[in-house]
Parts: sequence; structure tokens; C-alpha cells
Amino acid sequence: MSVAGLTTAEARESALDRIRSLRVPPGVALSFAVIAVVIAWSLAPGLFTGQDPVNGVPADKFLPPSAAHWFGTDQLGRDLFSRVVHGTASSVSSALIAVVIGVIVGGSIGLLAGFLGGWVDTVLARLVDVLLAIPSFLLAVIVVSSLGFDTTNAAIATGVSAVAVFARVMRAEVIKTRRAVFVEASFLQGGSHLHILARHVLPNASRSLLALAVLQFGLSILVIAGLAFLGYGDPPPASDWGLLISTGKDYLKWPWLVYAPALVTIATVLSVNRISRWLRKTD
Amino acid sequence: MNGYLGFALRRLVQAVVVVLAAYVFTFVVVSVLPGDPVTNVLRNPENGFSEDEITRIVAYYGLDQPVHIQLWRSLSNFLTGDLGVSLRSNRPVADMIGEVLASTLVLAAAGLAVAIVLALAIAYGTRVLPARWGQGVLRSLPSLFLSVPNFVIGLVLIHVFAFQVGLFRVIDPESVWATLFAAIALGIPVSAQIAEVLITNLDHESRQEFAAVARSRGLSRARLFAAHLLKPSSLPVVTVLALTVGELLGGSLITETVFGRTGVGSLVQRSVTTQDLPVLQAVVSLAAAVFVVVNLLADLVYPLLDPRVRAVTGSTRRRRAVDDGSLGAGAAA
Amino acid sequence: MAPQDRLSATLDRPAAPAGTPVPSTEAGPLVSVRGLSVAYDRRTVVDDVSFDLPRWGSLALIGESGSGKSTIARAILRLLPDTGRATGEIRFGGDNLLALSERRFRSLRGRRLGFVPQDPGNSLNPVRTIGSQAREAARLVDGLDRAAADELILDTFARVGLDDPRRAYESYPHQLSGGMLQRVLIGLAALPGPDLLIADEPTSALDVTIQKRILDLLSELRETLGIGLLLITHDLAIAAERADLLVVLRGGRVQETGDTRSVFGAPTSEYARKLHADVPSLNPDRYAGSRAAGLVRLTDPATEPRIDVRSVTKSFTVDGSRLTAVDNVSFSVPTGTTHALVGESGSGKTTTIRLLLGLEQPDSGEIVVAGERLDGRSHRSLRTARRNLALVYQNPYTSLDPTWRVDRLICEPLDRYRVGTPAERTAQVARALEAVGLDDTYARRRPARLSGGQRQRVAIARALVLRPGVIVLDEPTSALDVSVQADIVGVLLRLQAELGLTYVFVSHDLALVRQLAHSVTVMRRGRVVESGPVDDVLEDPAEDYTRTLVESVPAGLAGRSA
Repeated sequence: MSVAGLTTAEARESALDRIRSLRVPPGVALSFAVIAVVIAWSLAPGLFTGQDPVNGVPADKFLPPSAAHWFGTDQLGRDLFSRVVHGTASSVSSALIAVVIGVIVGGSIGLLAGFLGGWVDTVLARLVDVLLAIPSFLLAVIVVSSLGFDTTNAAIATGVSAVAVFARVMRAEVIKTRRAVFVEASFLQGGSHLHILARHVLPNASRSLLALAVLQFGLSILVIAGLAFLGYGDPPPASDWGLLISTGKDYLKWPWLVYAPALVTIATVLSVNRISRWLRKTD
Repeated sequence: MNGYLGFALRRLVQAVVVVLAAYVFTFVVVSVLPGDPVTNVLRNPENGFSEDEITRIVAYYGLDQPVHIQLWRSLSNFLTGDLGVSLRSNRPVADMIGEVLASTLVLAAAGLAVAIVLALAIAYGTRVLPARWGQGVLRSLPSLFLSVPNFVIGLVLIHVFAFQVGLFRVIDPESVWATLFAAIALGIPVSAQIAEVLITNLDHESRQEFAAVARSRGLSRARLFAAHLLKPSSLPVVTVLALTVGELLGGSLITETVFGRTGVGSLVQRSVTTQDLPVLQAVVSLAAAVFVVVNLLADLVYPLLDPRVRAVTGSTRRRRAVDDGSLGAGAAA
Repeated sequence: MAPQDRLSATLDRPAAPAGTPVPSTEAGPLVSVRGLSVAYDRRTVVDDVSFDLPRWGSLALIGESGSGKSTIARAILRLLPDTGRATGEIRFGGDNLLALSERRFRSLRGRRLGFVPQDPGNSLNPVRTIGSQAREAARLVDGLDRAAADELILDTFARVGLDDPRRAYESYPHQLSGGMLQRVLIGLAALPGPDLLIADEPTSALDVTIQKRILDLLSELRETLGIGLLLITHDLAIAAERADLLVVLRGGRVQETGDTRSVFGAPTSEYARKLHADVPSLNPDRYAGSRAAGLVRLTDPATEPRIDVRSVTKSFTVDGSRLTAVDNVSFSVPTGTTHALVGESGSGKTTTIRLLLGLEQPDSGEIVVAGERLDGRSHRSLRTARRNLALVYQNPYTSLDPTWRVDRLICEPLDRYRVGTPAERTAQVARALEAVGLDDTYARRRPARLSGGQRQRVAIARALVLRPGVIVLDEPTSALDVSVQADIVGVLLRLQAELGLTYVFVSHDLALVRQLAHSVTVMRRGRVVESGPVDDVLEDPAEDYTRTLVESVPAGLAGRSA
């Protein structure tokens, strides 16, 4: 009995797929590098700058970018680069909190709604509709007003908004997977509902969540920066990126105060978006 | 028409439920979260409420009543148009919102217009530009726009066009130029979202067999775009547009702060600083209501525009060809 | 003016003289392809292909998936995706098509080169009416005003056999059936009076009886309008029936070319020979040896019926109206034989097997398997019975969980039914893999790394692993290439001989049924048309519908009219 042979075209195809899946395009590699730097900044800011982010030398105020001060100095004479680096931790970790809340809570809601259907689905879908209807920004504002002004609360508020997005996508994926032929096949082969849910539906439905989570991470950075910009995050002398931009807007005569933290934010979110698109493509 | 009417009715009921639920949700967030902020605000000696005022306010809001009674009173007030009274200024919230609404609406409408025009231009370019690299640049624009915080865009516009070029002055935020730039700042991130969906749809539709078949009839790229790709790609965008209402409302909050405009955004800012919760609650509930209404309209209109979806919602009876209706069933020739 | 005359009148060259048996080569070939190569990025898909299509001639490009046949068609029309690059020469009307500017070439598209696509359901813009798209074709004819264009369109629709042209004109694509849409597309392609029609698998998405009518239509148009035909197909029998010249392709390279009689009757290349041997309709007795045992069991009165379906009826409510999918269907399958359910789309054959497996419950009737009644029972009570009933799905790309590995996929039924110890299960999986002809290197792969044929083998292994008495196969090879299909059929027959399996085999392919089934039930619109031993029913059908089905099967050379 001969072994089924691949046709030449098919053999070429699978080998190519394997190679392609390992190779990372240069743009994506660069994005990973940027994210690695950002993560390093948030974990060990002291390693990257020796200057004091909180206490400045007043005589050195408003210095433009130079070798001594990569991003220049602010209105209190503090080194702006150091402030940006030290502000990374809260800007980034808060976005992470938001995404984790979104994925876990939203994913669970979507899973239950999609798998159980019926009245459970209807009730949960209305709940998600409510979260979706309230603009995420306003929701964050109202949560922060009630809980207090700090970046962690801003993160929680952003996470609550993100729940809606993840719940919707998870629900759609679960419904699509539930109808898949291989699910019916498992059913015929003695698979119980729990087995199908845990072993077939969940792994398949979650595949698209990863790319979405990365995307939401970038979005959360922007939302939290916006909240910080309006003053809803940690108060000064914290140096969240949004807060830095907010302070900088009053001193536009010295534009690096705005452009430096803005460019760092843009670079970070751009890299995150690039990675998310690449993840979606290689699925 | 039965299928469509049933569908419309169901959507309507859903919308009502969601608006009510949104109101309850905001109420809960405001009053049940730790800190009982209302009493905190009232009891705070810095805010200078006299005992008399406190009693009156407490009685007016029914703060001495159990929570569900408060909710009921609040909700019925909301439904009859009474949005409560500001804790700070004692004025009806409805009046306060009414004052600033026009400015925000103008900005939001202008921002939406900018977003649509920009998105269409980008999408058209990705399909019709002859140079491949040009298409590539345009394709990466939406992602770039989505990576920039909208307040940064606003600040850059102010820095360049107000400070450097002097096209408008920040002293006068309601001037035409200032409004235009504010609309651009607001519209750019929204345009990115619309453009992404448009481009994805266009890619999808252009890969469909009918696009190749249409080209085999001698259509040029531009003709193909206008006659075949635009309509099926943009119809789903109607629903996306409805979703961007949330972005527009949230974004105008920030943009108003950046450009110094007095709109709903600045009202919210003031109310947050003074913890004027009835105002916040009213604004959020109204925003949710607007979102729900816009999306309801979009969902109701969309099947009427797209014949594919019309068939599914059952408003046109499928005239399925039972027989192949050709050279006569069973004809040997 | 009769419609066909009107059509000819708008063309500015003479129609072929009626009854021309041999295409003329006097004026030089219509299309001459020399050294055509197409590459996507770095992958070569078409490699140095050359052939000539004579004026008024017909040529078929035959190949399986990945052979490059469709790519060649697209290259001629310059409709390759952006990443495709074509090199070589395509001479047509004195020009090298590949060297022309886009603008100059665009004037040829539609006017001189027509295209008939594969999937009619997707080939018209779903949000615009058919009439509005037909006007695009009419625009290619010079000097027509709006009224004249509409009249020409309606004439063309009548010409291609639509008996309500007005209605078709005003409809949206989703309102017409596949066959009608394909007629519309053929009409629109022929309307401007092109010199060449390129038809890319024009019938593979259609039911078998409709296929024949569409191919007849194409032949008729070709003869009366003198259009050259380039036919792309994977079906050797269709190619032999309808084309004068054959080009056999594999992996982007030409394996053999020549006129039909020689290539078909006496293929010189090994690939063409294998292809010929793999086509069911050309080799009805290929598996006579393996089939023999089952035939004996069929006629032996002592053989127990393994499956007994009695007067089963099932209706559904769709869009408010009641649809009877299965109407009083009965059949019986003796142990160790293969019973085929044959029908076109809408015949109810899929619903019937879903009833058999308990995925739906019949409204009335009885379903008996191995002496046990299955209808009317709950999912839980059917659990034990299901160990004896396995299902192999039609689409190997969706029936296997893409996140699972092959060994786990095959082991799933053993795990679910808690059969034996884990070590015993592993051994069973290995045996099942071996039985379907896959070695153990496949065990740790995921479905994405398998070809369609390999996936289907995995599906069969999964079906075998509980040692069921009955395997139900729902068109298991219709998504696969003909040569892969032949391999799978071989595996199935061998397993049946070794293990005494009973098969219920659903198919629309009569020729395939003839090769491997012992008894057959022909279904139409939910009802049984005819039932009995395969040889009797197919050789000498009692009913008209069966006869139409049998006659619709392309018969290769035997089916040529000239």
C-alpha cells in the first residue's frame, strides 16, 4: 500500500508556509524592538537614565534637546528624557491592566453568550450594548470621578469599556465555531457539551483574540494618555506621557515639551499596531 | 414585508431597553461606588453649603430615600426631560447643556464630514493610483492616524498654523479657521477607522469573482471602483459610521479642551473638577441615548439599501427559480 | 430578424460556415501562446507553456488543482492578481498581448476576448441588477443607443435559453438559480461578438443535468457565431467531448498536447495515462475485483440487512413556508455492501443521512440499524448506537479541528468512549493510520500541513477507529482532485473487503457510483425516483429522470457529436 504522496506543488506549498511563518518582516522586527525598549523602560527606568525626573535644576529650564539632555528640559529644569522614561511604567502598565480586564471579563461574557444562547445571550448582549453605547471616554471620566484621580482607576475604566469590544468579538467567534463541521463531528463521536466547549470552541475562538488584544493595548495607551492629558491620571510630579503633553501645551514656545513625549507615544502605539496586523495576517 | 417589520420592532425594543439600562448603569456607577460622593461634596465645608441648602438638596434628590426610590424618581425625571439640577450652580442641567450643545454639534458634524471625505479619498487612492508604492503609502495612513492621540494632532495643528503660520488665533476658538482645524483634529482618527473598514471591504470585493468578470468586460480601474466596488464596500460602512458616533462624542471632549472651545466637553471638565455629578450623569446618559438612536436608525436603514441583507431579513420574497427554465424540462435536444 | 442573425449582424466578420467539421488553419492560429511563464513573487506557477488555438477551433486546458490552467486563462486576459508576473508571448490578432499597454489591451477585453467564469453565483455584483451589468457588455458594441442596447440584451438572454428575459434583466443575482446565472454570463460574454471565449471551468459549480445543457449552449454558440473556445477544465471526459485539441498540464508544465482523438485514445505521457485511468466515467469497471465480494453479498438472500430505512419523511419550515426535504423515502442496505444515494442539489440526500445518524428526527417512518430502532431517541440514548455509525464529511477542510494534531483527532472517539487503556488507544491510532496509508510521520502534524486527500484519509481513519459496522460517507471526494479521488476510493474498497464494512455513499457523481457501489437509490426533490442494484439502474433506467442523469454524464470521445 503506497503512502499518499504530495504533488510537487503541494510539497512546495507546505515548506514555504513553514518558512514564511518563521520569517518576520523587517517592519515587524523593528516594532518588536521598540516594544522591548518600552518594556525595559517600564521595568528598570534607572538603567536608562541617571537624571532625576522629579527634582530639577531651575536654572536649566527650557533647554532644547542636546547631548546632555536628549529631550531637553522642562519648565522646572528637569530632564525630559528622564521624565518620559520614568513615566513609561504607569503609562504602559495601566494599558496592560485595561486589556487584561477586557480580555478576561469580556472574553468570558462573550463565551457564555455565544455558547449558551437563549435568554443568557439576550441579557448579556444588552449589557454589552450598554457598555458600547457609553463613549469609552465619558465612561472613564465618570468612573474616575467616582473612584478618584489616579492612573490605576483610569486603567480600570478603560478596561470596562474594552469589555464590550472583546465580548462582541468572542461571541461572534464562538457562534461561528459552534456551527463548524468539526464541532458536529465531535458531537457525533461522543463529545459532551463541556468537552466541545473547552477543547474545540475555546481554542478556535480565541485565535483571533490575540491580535485584537494587542490592538486594544495600543488603543488603551491612547485613551489613558488622553485621560492623563485632561488631568484624570496621577497628579504631578508623575510623568505619564499624557500628563507631560498636557503640561507641554502651555509652553508651546518650547515645542519639544510636547513633541518628545508625543513621538514616544506614537512610536509605541504604531509598533503595537504593526505587530497586531502581522498577527492577524499570519493566522 | 413581514420579516422586516418584525426585525424593526425587535430592534426598537432592544434600543429602548439599552437606553434605560444605560441610565440605570450610570446612576449605579455614580451613587453606589464607594465614597458616596454626593454627600462628600455636600458635607465638604470647602464647598460652602449651608445646612438649609443641604437639607433642600437632599430632599430634592431624595437622597434620604432608599436607593431604588431614588433611581425611580431620577429615571422618570429623565424620561420627561428633567435632567436634574446642578449641585454647583443650582441651574437646571438641561439648560446648562442646551447652552453649550450647539458648539459641540457643529464641531462633531464638521469632524464627521472631514472624516468621511478623508476616508473616501484614501480608499479611492488605494484602488486607483497607478504606482504600487503610492497605494502602499496610502494603505499605511490609517494605521498611522490611529497611532496618534487626537490631542496631539490638535496641538500640532495649533503649533504650526496658529503660532507659526498665524492662520488663526487661539484667543478666538470659535472662528471659522479654528473650527476647521478643530474639525480636522477630531476627524483624522475617525477617518482612519472608516478608511480601514472601507479598504478591507474594497480588497474583499475586488477579489470577488465578479470584479474580475467585470474587468473582463473592459472596465478600467476607476470605472470598476465607482460602478462595482464602492457600493458593496460602503454599505457596511453605514453601520460602522453609526459606531463612530461614540468616538466623535468622546473625541470632541478632548478637542474642545485643546482648542479652548466652550462646548459640552468643557462643561464636563468643569463638572468633574467640581464633582457636579448630576451634570455628568445627564451628559453620559444623553450621549448613550444619541448613540443608541443613531445605531438604531443605521440598522433599520441598512437592509433597505443592501439587497443582499434584504433577502435575509425576508422583506423580499425569494423568487427562487424552481426549474432551470431553459430549453424545456426534459427536452432531449 | 431572428435573434441569432441579429447577433451575427452586429459582428463585423463572417460566421463560420455551417457544418465546418475541421477548424481552418489558413488564416493562421487565432491565439498562439509561446513560452508563457507566470510567477507569483518567487513562485513559478506556469512554466514555459506553448500551444496554438486555430481559428474557429476549440482547445481544452486540462489539469488538476495547481496545474496552472486557470492562471493561463487569466494571463491571456491580463487579469492576474497584482503579484503575478507573466513573461513570454501570447499572439492574438497580430499583437503580443503581454506587450500591449493596459489602455490598448483594455479595448480588446470583452470586445475580442470574452470570459465565462467558474462560479456563476459570485460572478455578478450582488448589489446591482443584472440588467445594469448587462449594459456594460452592451457598451462594447459601437453605435447602440440605450433602447437598442436593451433590445440586444433581451435578445441575447432569449438566445441563451432564459424564458423570461425581462425578469432576468430586472432581477438581482441572488434571485436566479446557478444555471440561469451561467446562461446570463455566457450571453454577456458572447454579446459583443468576441473572437475568442475563454471558459474557466464553466460547469463545475452546477448540477450534472444543468452542466450538459450549459455545455451544449456553449457548443451551439460556438458553431453559429464562429467563436473560438478555450476551455479550462479538470474533467477529462468533458474536455474530450467538447474540444478538438487537448493540452494536459501538471504543476505548470505541459505534459502532452495534440488533437483529442490521439491524446485521449492513445496518451503518450504517463501523467495523461494516469489521468485517463482515474476518471470514473471512462473506467467503470476499474474496481471490479474489489467490488465482487459485495455484489455476491447483495444477491445472496441470506445476507442480513444492516440498515433499514422505512417510509421516512421530514419537513422543515423555511421563511414561513413548509419544505418537505425527505418524502416517504425507503431503502435497505445488506451487510458488507455499498449503497449509494444519488441526486442533485435539493434532492434530500444530505437530509436523509442526517436522519440516519440521528442529527435530525424524522416526522414519520422508521430507521433501523443492526436491528435496533434509532428514530425518536434522545441524543444520550443514541450514544451507544453511535459507536457503530461513523460519518465522513464532504469537506476535509472543515471537518477537522485545525488546532488539534492528527493523532489526537483520530484518538478522539476512543477517548470519548473510554475504550481500553491509553497505551491501547495509541496502538489503535497507529493501526488506523496505517490502514488508510499514512505513515506515522503524519501523526504529529496539524491539518494545515496536510493536503485535501491526506485530510480525508485522516477523517476516514477517525471513522474507523471504533470499528463501526457502518460508515456513512457524504460526497467524500467531491472536493478532491480526480487522481486523489481514485486513491481514496481504492482505500475505501480495500477496507470494505478486509473489514466487511457497510457503506452508505452519498454522491452526485453517477460514474463514481457505478465504480464502487452495489445498490443505489436515486432521489429527486425529496422523493425516491428509482432504487435497485447499480448495474440494473444505471444501465437500463426505468425512469426518465434517471435516464437524463445517466445521459448527462460526460462520456469522452463517445459523447462527441461530430
